[in-house]
Amino acid sequence: MFWNMDYDPKLVSARQKDMFEDILEDRRHSSDLRYSLKTRDVTMFKLNKPRAPMQIKEHVMKSDRVNFAIDQTCMDTKLPREEVVAEALSILDEMAHNLRTGAVRGFAFFLIKVMKSLYRRIYVNVDGIQKIRGLIKEYPILLMPSHRSYMDFLLMSYVFYNYDLPLPVIAAAMDFMGMKFFGWLLRNSGAFYIRRSFGDDHLYWAIFTEYVQCQICNGDNPIEFYVEGTRSRTAKSYTPKFGMLSAALEPYFKSHIPDIMVVPVSISYDRILEESLYAYELLGVPKPKESTSGLLKARKILEEDFGNIHIFFGQPISIRKYSEGFVDRSLHNLAPRYIASLTNQEQDLIKKLGHHMVLTQQKHMVVSPWSLMASVLMQSQGGVSLRQLAKEVEWVKRQASNLGAYCDWPASESAESVLRANLKLHQNIVRVSQEDVVELVRVAPPVHAKATDALMITAGQHLMLSLYRNHILHVFVRPAMIAISVNTCNEERLSIDDLFTKYTFLEKLLCKDFVFIPENTKADFDLALLTLTHTCGVVMEDNQVIIAKSTNKHTTFYSHLFEPFLLGYWILCQYLLSNHPNVAGKPLAKTQKNLVKEAQMLTARLLQEGVVKHYEMLSLDMMSNGLHALFAMGGVSKERRDGVVYMYPNTRQLSTITDQLAKFVDVPPLPSVSINLHSKMITVNAKL
Amino acid sequence: MATNKPSRQNSDIVNKMDQQLETKNCAAASKNNSGALDPEPPTIPKRRQELLKWNGWGYKDSKFFVNKDGHVEFTGERYRISGSTMPAMREWMIKTIGVSLDHKAPAQPDICAANIPLPIKNDGFLSELRKTSISHSDDCQDRLFRAHGHTLHEIFLLREGKFERIPDIVVWPVCHDEVVKIVQLACKHNVVIIPFGGGTSVSNALECPMEEKRMIVSLDTSQMNRILWVDEKNMTMRAECGIIGQDLERKLAERGLCTGHEPDSMEFSSLGGWVATRASGMKKNIYGNIEDLLVHVKMVTPRGVMEKNCQVPRMSSGLDIHHFILGSEGTLGVVSEVTLKVRPLPQCKKYGSIVFPDFECGVNCMREVAKQRCAPASIRLMDNEQFQFGHALKVESNSILANFMDGLKKLYITKLKGFDPMKMAVATLLFEGTKEEVAALEKRVYEIAAKFRGIPGGADNGERGYMLTFVIAYIRDIGFDYYVVAESFETSVPWDRCLDLCQNVKERLHRECKDNNIQFPPYVTCRVTQTYDAGACIYFYFAFNYRGISNPVSLYEHIESCAREEILANGGSISHHHGVGKIRKRWLRKTVGDIGLGAMQSVKQYIDPNNIFGNNNLMMGHNLSDGATPAQEPSNVMLPSKL
Repeated sequence: MFWNMDYDPKLVSARQKDMFEDILEDRRHSSDLRYSLKTRDVTMFKLNKPRAPMQIKEHVMKSDRVNFAIDQTCMDTKLPREEVVAEALSILDEMAHNLRTGAVRGFAFFLIKVMKSLYRRIYVNVDGIQKIRGLIKEYPILLMPSHRSYMDFLLMSYVFYNYDLPLPVIAAAMDFMGMKFFGWLLRNSGAFYIRRSFGDDHLYWAIFTEYVQCQICNGDNPIEFYVEGTRSRTAKSYTPKFGMLSAALEPYFKSHIPDIMVVPVSISYDRILEESLYAYELLGVPKPKESTSGLLKARKILEEDFGNIHIFFGQPISIRKYSEGFVDRSLHNLAPRYIASLTNQEQDLIKKLGHHMVLTQQKHMVVSPWSLMASVLMQSQGGVSLRQLAKEVEWVKRQASNLGAYCDWPASESAESVLRANLKLHQNIVRVSQEDVVELVRVAPPVHAKATDALMITAGQHLMLSLYRNHILHVFVRPAMIAISVNTCNEERLSIDDLFTKYTFLEKLLCKDFVFIPENTKADFDLALLTLTHTCGVVMEDNQVIIAKSTNKHTTFYSHLFEPFLLGYWILCQYLLSNHPNVAGKPLAKTQKNLVKEAQMLTARLLQEGVVKHYEMLSLDMMSNGLHALFAMGGVSKERRDGVVYMYPNTRQLSTITDQLAKFVDVPPLPSVSINLHSKMITVNAKL
Repeated sequence: MATNKPSRQNSDIVNKMDQQLETKNCAAASKNNSGALDPEPPTIPKRRQELLKWNGWGYKDSKFFVNKDGHVEFTGERYRISGSTMPAMREWMIKTIGVSLDHKAPAQPDICAANIPLPIKNDGFLSELRKTSISHSDDCQDRLFRAHGHTLHEIFLLREGKFERIPDIVVWPVCHDEVVKIVQLACKHNVVIIPFGGGTSVSNALECPMEEKRMIVSLDTSQMNRILWVDEKNMTMRAECGIIGQDLERKLAERGLCTGHEPDSMEFSSLGGWVATRASGMKKNIYGNIEDLLVHVKMVTPRGVMEKNCQVPRMSSGLDIHHFILGSEGTLGVVSEVTLKVRPLPQCKKYGSIVFPDFECGVNCMREVAKQRCAPASIRLMDNEQFQFGHALKVESNSILANFMDGLKKLYITKLKGFDPMKMAVATLLFEGTKEEVAALEKRVYEIAAKFRGIPGGADNGERGYMLTFVIAYIRDIGFDYYVVAESFETSVPWDRCLDLCQNVKERLHRECKDNNIQFPPYVTCRVTQTYDAGACIYFYFAFNYRGISNPVSLYEHIESCAREEILANGGSISHHHGVGKIRKRWLRKTVGDIGLGAMQSVKQYIDPNNIFGNNNLMMGHNLSDGATPAQEPSNVMLPSKL
């Protein structure tokens, strides 16, 4: 026997698996206090000059950039300089973090308690941590985690504390700042606060930019921010935002520093803390304001089980290597560097990098069995037997693996017990009936939602489930666009060129709900087609798709996965088209918010009438993404009135798009009356 | 000055100059040079290899070597450190660049005639040349000596390889008229001329174009070394182009004058070369760079002689033809005679140094000095690596007192002032002027320095710093002997980017060495050598140990070009004073733009339509019509950004 005599496969813990190790287990067997007081031997960036948070602020106020902005503001507003300086100071005070060891230790103590009670295991790929450890001495580091929960932010700090790495400073939204004790704690643990939108406020931009950049140049701490801009409420990746990324990379383009390392981080949750909040927020119930008392009330969630977390640190990207041959930094030679500017090469590169980061985050997401189950359950709303579910999930799992997803499937357990364990974890959403049929349970809406409406409760239920299905949609979206094109083709054969045309149309349509690298359509298409032909989903002959042979489980399943999105957009189009040109000869312009709301009302009505059946189409997020895609395609136009954006349909263009869209999805016949929103027929809860 | 030899035959030179004042007759001059009346041989002989190393830097009698005790010693009698041992040097070489004294890479003993390409002969040119009295030679070694400058590539070839293309004949004109004659003959017979002055080029400017099928004439100016006249009313002097720096200053000194132009190569480089490359001198703060010193210049071109008709301090006369000549790098013609400003010799000359806790403090201090326009004749800031190197070059001292004082100084700086010897930077200073001026300026500079935590470090350190400049070129040769390749390069940069540029270029060099699998850590160091109102000149040294690497030179060149890319990306220039030559040609378009390049080419096209001055430097060989700019550039515009 070459193994341990006590060895029993059943007793092997899941502490380590693949590239991951659990960092919670040790904490369960040792003193939290000692842990939070442990000596930390932290490596620093080699060009770093140690300084306190106060000195960072001093640097910012003295900087050329901020003084330039102050002068500009004085000129624009005719305010005395002292007043503008005072404003700048208050902006900076509001923004700046105050990272201190003492607070960090207290924070660590608090975090470890929370983590242990919420989660079973927190897995981290140690290999990725080692890479970062090696880089910290040599480069300034930008951490770009995915963002699907408030926990992201706490987790990252916790992991860095755990591995004796310098704690990141985090660009956080203002939301937290208002919280009494907690806001203070976060600030002292490295959070700095930025306003969500500050548009043309040059002074704010200057202070923010200098604050971020000087910390990158001096390598004080790794800087962490979310390239998606905000928490994804849909558990899909949001399309990247570029403001913070541009600010962070400008020091390289302007040759302040030799290089910057960008590290994508994927954080996957078995169960998201905010699941029901998200579901109702998507329906239009505003999220409750963050407050410490709210947090304390939420204590009862500490008693619940949120499963495992997987944190994957991806391959760091050197911005120098990434931009080699694409940008010419010497173009900045002709103006002082404190005047903000980026070349269009650089802006393109930043865009590309932003998308690349999101796609890398997606690639390293861990797919839980529950996500696979959710993708099947979403398509079988009437309920499905456990055995059938197991069979389907097994099939989806294979497909996901073939498409490069990492599925977290325990090998030593039977499929049924895996399923049952996951059903138990999500018992607030699903249950198994006595006949072994899996069905949705009625989710009690959150207290603040005050919802009583049946439609809304059902929708909430569906949206919660959809979050988990959304988690794996990125794996399937490219093959699905081919599958949809094939499945809805009326000919016997479809040429590759035509297929590509269809694919391109769908990509344009879906490009806000899903993330595609700009101008990479052809390569994506080729790869997706290759994958489909290799997994026998699509059969090709002479560069043509044989439709009959290609209409099979693969293409059907993929098409169904995305049907709600296409149908949702179609309803949106119908709504927009119903907005007839009035007497002025131009359709009435409305704010985006109103358009989205009214499209949602129409959907609600159609659902109630049984014309359509996907409740997730009530998601405001989906409607808003659709609207933006239509804008990008020319179906909708924007107009600024009193500083507010109004939108209105371009009827001709939009009709064409709608007709085209209708070719890709089975659209129901619409009773013409239902479109008229202005009639008193609407019975949707006004809250929606 | 490194070589202050007592001058010979003062009266003779004065006589000679007086004669020149009367007659500028060429025949007289040549008679004078060769005749018995003037026994002084030219400092640089026609057969240069008899005085100078054929495959390394400087005089044959002066070099570093490892003596029998295993210590580094400098030979000869020409320099202050000649005959001295530097006990710390061996340790430094071993520790810093991983030299092992057991691994030697001696140079090939010679490149003999069999390995030297046959000369291409233009019979028409040769027969007409023979009819003149112009001295010439097609001796292999004479031709080889003029086939190269002093870039790493060229010296490595001399040590390890052979040349594919070298000049086919060497001519030694002795006066302007002979130059005119040679150029006329070359035009008539379509022969290429490459002017050769001191041969100290570090830009591959002297390299013969491989594809050149015409006969190449190396026009050696060394025999045109007379001062033609000195005009003390206007404080100007005129000399022939071939006079080398040290001779010019020595001869002027006899009259109590100087030009004050002291490039690091002044022992060997020539007046004409300075003009043709836009040279810069160490003491430019007082005397100006060559373009500031230049009052008049005569250039022989294929079209004829180009010069202005008056010698005035300044004039508005359209495009300044002097600026066509300055920096033309031998592509338009030969500079034959030059008028420079002269100044009275300074009454007082004093070295000094300032120790700073780190490089950043030093740069900030330099910036302040420049801002207040109170820079002494020279002010240079060495980074820590160079400071340590300077330390390693300290000669063995037998004086107990000197050693004791050094110990005390060290104690004061490191213990009392708390400077970290691994971070310290040192500025070296040279003051010139009247006693009062020097004293006042010293006071002012040290006061500014104190604001940047700088403390005076003594005259000795300062003087050693400048001495280092002259001997550092010799150090490369001993490096070669131990598998080390080394080179310097320089740039100019605005003040606000100075620190970032130094940091980023060093970082880039280290990174590239790592990425190219060089096993030993490279030696990278820089110094700020000149200050201006709007920026500074920065000088880098870069060396690495190439044991285990098969292609050290091409690897070196690759890494240096990465460093240059980095320099440009950091707001630095293509060159402050080394020039473009061939080695930096690829960045010229980016530097001056298409229009700039096209304008240069048009001038060339007019002045030298048949490319007689075909050394292929600068704007030559850029194709304007064909893909004028790299594809991505035209679309690149600055966009307003919210940042």
